[in-house]
Amino acid sequence: MSNHIESQAEKQPEIQTGSPSVERCLVFESGALSLFMSTNYVIEIINGHSITPIPMIPSFIKGILNLRGQILPVVDIRLYMGHEEMEFTRQTCIIVLQVDSLSLGIIVDSVQQVIDIDLANVRSIPVKRQQKLLDGMVTLEDGRVLMSFDCKALINDPC
Amino acid sequence: MDNGMDNILDTYLYESNSLLDQLDEMLVKDEKEGDFSPDDVNEIFRIMHTIKGSSAMMEFNSLSTIAHHIEDLFFYIRDKGIESLNPGHKRELFDLMFKSEDYLRSEVGKVESGSPLSDNIDSFSSEINEFLKKISVEKSSSMEQEAQEYPAVPKARPDAPALPQDPKAVCFFHVFLEEGIGMENLRAYIIVNALKECGLEFRYYPADMESNPSVCQDLIDNGFFLSFESHEAAAQAEGIIKSQNYIRSYELLDSPDHTQDRDVPAKTQDSPAEDNVSLPAAKPAAAGPSVSAPSHSPVKQSLISVNLMKLNSLNDIVGEIVITESMVTSSPELNLLPKESFDNFMKSARQLRKLTHDLQDISMSLRMVPISGVFQKMNRIVRDMKQKLGKDVRLTIIGEDTEVDKTIVDSIQDPIMHIVRNSMDHGIEETQEERIEAGKAAQGEIILSASHTSSEVVISVSDDGYGMNAQKLLAKAAEKGLLTKPESEYSQKEALGLIMLPGFSTNQAVTEYSGRGVGMDVVKKNVESVGGTISISSEAGLGTTISMKIPLTLAIVDGMKITVGDSIFTIPVSNIRQSFKVTEEQVIHDEYGNEIVDCLGSFYPIIRLHQFFHMDTNAPNIKDGILIWVEASDCSYCLLVDSLIGEQQVVVKPLPAYLNTFELKNYGISGCTILGDGNISIILDILGLYAAAIKNM
Repeated sequence: MSNHIESQAEKQPEIQTGSPSVERCLVFESGALSLFMSTNYVIEIINGHSITPIPMIPSFIKGILNLRGQILPVVDIRLYMGHEEMEFTRQTCIIVLQVDSLSLGIIVDSVQQVIDIDLANVRSIPVKRQQKLLDGMVTLEDGRVLMSFDCKALINDPC
Repeated sequence: MDNGMDNILDTYLYESNSLLDQLDEMLVKDEKEGDFSPDDVNEIFRIMHTIKGSSAMMEFNSLSTIAHHIEDLFFYIRDKGIESLNPGHKRELFDLMFKSEDYLRSEVGKVESGSPLSDNIDSFSSEINEFLKKISVEKSSSMEQEAQEYPAVPKARPDAPALPQDPKAVCFFHVFLEEGIGMENLRAYIIVNALKECGLEFRYYPADMESNPSVCQDLIDNGFFLSFESHEAAAQAEGIIKSQNYIRSYELLDSPDHTQDRDVPAKTQDSPAEDNVSLPAAKPAAAGPSVSAPSHSPVKQSLISVNLMKLNSLNDIVGEIVITESMVTSSPELNLLPKESFDNFMKSARQLRKLTHDLQDISMSLRMVPISGVFQKMNRIVRDMKQKLGKDVRLTIIGEDTEVDKTIVDSIQDPIMHIVRNSMDHGIEETQEERIEAGKAAQGEIILSASHTSSEVVISVSDDGYGMNAQKLLAKAAEKGLLTKPESEYSQKEALGLIMLPGFSTNQAVTEYSGRGVGMDVVKKNVESVGGTISISSEAGLGTTISMKIPLTLAIVDGMKITVGDSIFTIPVSNIRQSFKVTEEQVIHDEYGNEIVDCLGSFYPIIRLHQFFHMDTNAPNIKDGILIWVEASDCSYCLLVDSLIGEQQVVVKPLPAYLNTFELKNYGISGCTILGDGNISIILDILGLYAAAIKNM
């Protein structure tokens, strides 16, 4: 699956590469939301790993998994954002992130593509209600609207 | 460059600390015998010389100055022979040396923590010098005599400003050092070394400058000489000299050619110089006429120091290899192989298994260090307290070669120290008369012992002092409101255990050594943090023994795998006493509905693991599951689990840092491990589980 995404990324025309605010971003879906985050945080995308549940922790942390000897916590961001839990499908996968030297996996519904996004175009979300994991939104040239996924909020506020 | 500096600093710290440890061991041993052996005098001289040199190189002036003064002192002692000191002086010397060691240690500690070194070293260095004066005054008459017989080096050179005798030399550098930089001989030697490193052929005068501190004055007054056999070499050297620090001026002088007398005795020339060139860390040879070269050569240590981080990652990887090996060899796909190839495969696999297990054994043993380092430090504590408290106590050490995991050694040092201090302070009787009255030997004894069992190290500290009075302890605890049940129900063992409660201290007065609020409760906590247990036994009037049982290593645990629902948990086998099945009828309920079961005549609470962890279970009825009777430290209870899978050695891994906020340790989850099939099993902490489940019931 990851190969598939990369090949798409290569086809993507490099827009405004000169601008410093342009970043390569991974677009993924979770609970009917289209989200993106900088690929700087993304280590790899995996699926098919079995997750060991851990008792006595909030349900949005699905447990831990063994990635080649490294033990990673896995967060279901659907649950974190207050959505319904979903059965794993063929599309479901785990994005392994590294934020501030902390590694963790997040469960997303599906991973779409890698595109370049000019972060200068990202606007804040107008709704006053506190956003748990989203810190902005951006309209793409093709008219799609993506939400910016805030990895740091996930790390800094695990509750 | 920065990195390189760090490495040098690390090396420096490591070297200095191990030298100081060596010094400490030697001093404690020698003081027991009441005398320095000549070998040890040489050794102390060598240690101080090394510390001085490396500290000066790192520009830690306070360290190098103090080491320098002590080196002077021992230079004198070595010169005159240790026999020349009277017992009073020797005692003073011991005190002075212990004090100096502490001083150097504290300075090294400051370097380590990056805080500024103390500037005010005058009072301490003058103390050393005064002692040197005191011992030398009494010998002054004979010394003068000797001085005439064997003139000291500076005096032997009335013509020092003139060029040294070196017939082969074509030209000389005459170098003057800056004024007031201190330790001129060393600075000069550093310059000489710098030249040597560039591969230049030359000789230097005075030839004994790095080993003979008394040439300092000479160097200040007259500078020092470098002689070269060709002008090219001299020109090269000039470039290097220019880049050196602390040089006030230098001049290039041509040799007055062979006009000088060649019959000048060669002993101050070529031979010592040549020797020193070939051995940068040369022994202070030929420094004084009456000194014979140290009789023993330095023992080549076949040891290297390794960064603990690297060692840990090595252990992690080896752990992975062991697991992967069993993953590969038990892979179900192997059954698809034809019989013959399968047999061949298994043959190689067995070989691989043997090798990986050997590898694992070796990598585990890398972390093991003898406990003697910790025990030696206790020698020092006992010695210091002996003097302060005026008690005559001897420390007997048994089994100091016992090897323990490095992390464990680090974390049990403080507990042992605390217990030894307690024994010294409160355990041993105040006066000898008291001891004799009680029918004991006048000299108190503290026994520090370590021994192995299969999976544990047992460390015990026993004294033959007052012993503890259970009644007194109970009364005290009652007064502080620490009792949880009627006084009469406490057994002897439980009563003694009271001293490990927070807020309990039997001594009203705070002394320098104990009673500073850090009590036995902290000791207990420290020991438990490395998975150990602590127990006290004491007989009033006969003494006290405190034993600590500590696992050999934290990284590998003999685990019992159990299932609850779909999850696999691991319980350390050392915590398991028994497992058995019970029926509903055997379970007793208390008024709150808590379940209790009878094991071997005592009653223990039951924790249903699935209930406690809010998990699904395949054994909702107690008769379908199995009870595991577990025990840790002073708690004992039964766990209800679905089934037992089997025993396995597991490599303990910490849970991801992301989960730290949930403090799973408080719920009895201490870590996890990767099983042979790549799945993860959670390791249960029996003590933590008890605290969470039973205490909150």
